[in-house]
Amino acid sequence: MIPIDKLCYHSKLRYESPGVKLAFSLITLAACVANRSAVLSLVILVIMGMLTVVRGGIPFSRYLKLMTVPLVFLLMSTLAIAFDFGFWYITCSAASVYYAVNLVITALAAVSCLYFLSLTTPMTDILAVLSAMHMPRTIIELMLLIYRFIFLLLEIAEAVQVSQYSRLGNRDYKTSIKSFSALCSILMIRAVTRSRVLYQAMEARCYDGTFRFLNEAKRASKKNKVLLTLYGLAFLIFTLWRFYYG
Amino acid sequence: MNRKERRVVVFAAAAALVLGVAPCADAMHIMEGALPASSCIVWGVICLPFLAAGFFSIKKTLNHNRSSITLLAMAGAFVFVISSLKIPSVTGSCSHMTGTGLGAILFGPAAVSILGAIVLLFQAILLAHGGLTTIGANIFSMAIAGPFVSYGIFVLCNKMKVNRKVSVFLAATLGDLFTYCITAFQLAFAHHADTTLGHALGEFLVIFAPTQLPLSIVEGILTVLIIAALESYAKPELRAIGYLKEGQ
Repeated sequence: MIPIDKLCYHSKLRYESPGVKLAFSLITLAACVANRSAVLSLVILVIMGMLTVVRGGIPFSRYLKLMTVPLVFLLMSTLAIAFDFGFWYITCSAASVYYAVNLVITALAAVSCLYFLSLTTPMTDILAVLSAMHMPRTIIELMLLIYRFIFLLLEIAEAVQVSQYSRLGNRDYKTSIKSFSALCSILMIRAVTRSRVLYQAMEARCYDGTFRFLNEAKRASKKNKVLLTLYGLAFLIFTLWRFYYG
Repeated sequence: MNRKERRVVVFAAAAALVLGVAPCADAMHIMEGALPASSCIVWGVICLPFLAAGFFSIKKTLNHNRSSITLLAMAGAFVFVISSLKIPSVTGSCSHMTGTGLGAILFGPAAVSILGAIVLLFQAILLAHGGLTTIGANIFSMAIAGPFVSYGIFVLCNKMKVNRKVSVFLAATLGDLFTYCITAFQLAFAHHADTTLGHALGEFLVIFAPTQLPLSIVEGILTVLIIAALESYAKPELRAIGYLKEGQ
């Protein structure tokens, strides 16, 4: 239903320690955004792409397709940044074009870091790391339940949409607006009913206000922790050096 | 046509060209890496008080009534799902609702700030809409500013005894427009190297206008229809979430 979620369960890197994957992608992401250098971003883009596709075993065609998701936003904001729209003319300066190209490359590299995380680490593993980092328990529980319910509601929404389309619910614009609002309202009604039933089911199974999940994820090894610290430090020094002397 | 009108037409044509090529229009979320580090941090810090307030409000609700945790989670999942569904659009490019206006009207703005933040995190990781570094900016525009304006307008209209449908429409549409203005401001604030802030803001506003203006009107109409349907079929459910008072 959600392609990224499906793909990440097939990744060969799925059983690596989620903490390491999260820290690695966040450090790289921070380095990429803080430096905004085209060369560094290109290197990051290639390395993260290779890691996700070659090491992770995500099909390259799927990866490319996912890369087009943020493209519209990028194109439109680049248009606004690079060009200057006047009365009868559209101008652009070399500096603004350079700035826009730099932005595009940096953003794509940042997206590749995000994809490395989301295509190798299932959401439940990320939540396990967050709870190990002492995120408030209420929030973690809320996130786990929301994650679970998303699929429940998507299933209902898909079934309703199929039956609406098979009855020509998208015949013209007016009908499709009507069908869409009917879909949302039935979704809301089902969600509230389901939530009540689910809570009763949870109470019947001795729910006392905490969820206990079996955490299958591997813990980070000492070697990996040291390597990640060094990696982070290297980027920090590089960024500071560029900031003061670059 | 005067100068300004001409400008709008040129931008609309450019945007139509872009949208004709691209598969999906999702301009509300600021994408990963589009903001420099300083703005990411600033917007994140601005969000913190609102998120803390939302967290305490949720905690209070849960302490009062433990069973509302599934309801809150369903509300979050509902906002995620309606914002991931493609809404019917005239141009053929697909677009999404923000859903936060509806959420604010139904569940109140404080709860929506936390739920919206969680939903934005999920959207970044599962759908690649938005991103991890830009999440602060996105939370501010979509989970705080939009819902608070929507809710404010809704309450104000109710006080002034405006027709319910009109007030829902105004709340959803203006909330959406406000989100879009904030997003444009965030982008302009981050990228106005060679021009003034105002000029950059104008450019971003106009570039995104062809997709966002119709979208917010459609969102307003949809929200009215959804609320109308809920009010006629789902009175007990609306009472459960606190939208209708007991005995109404």
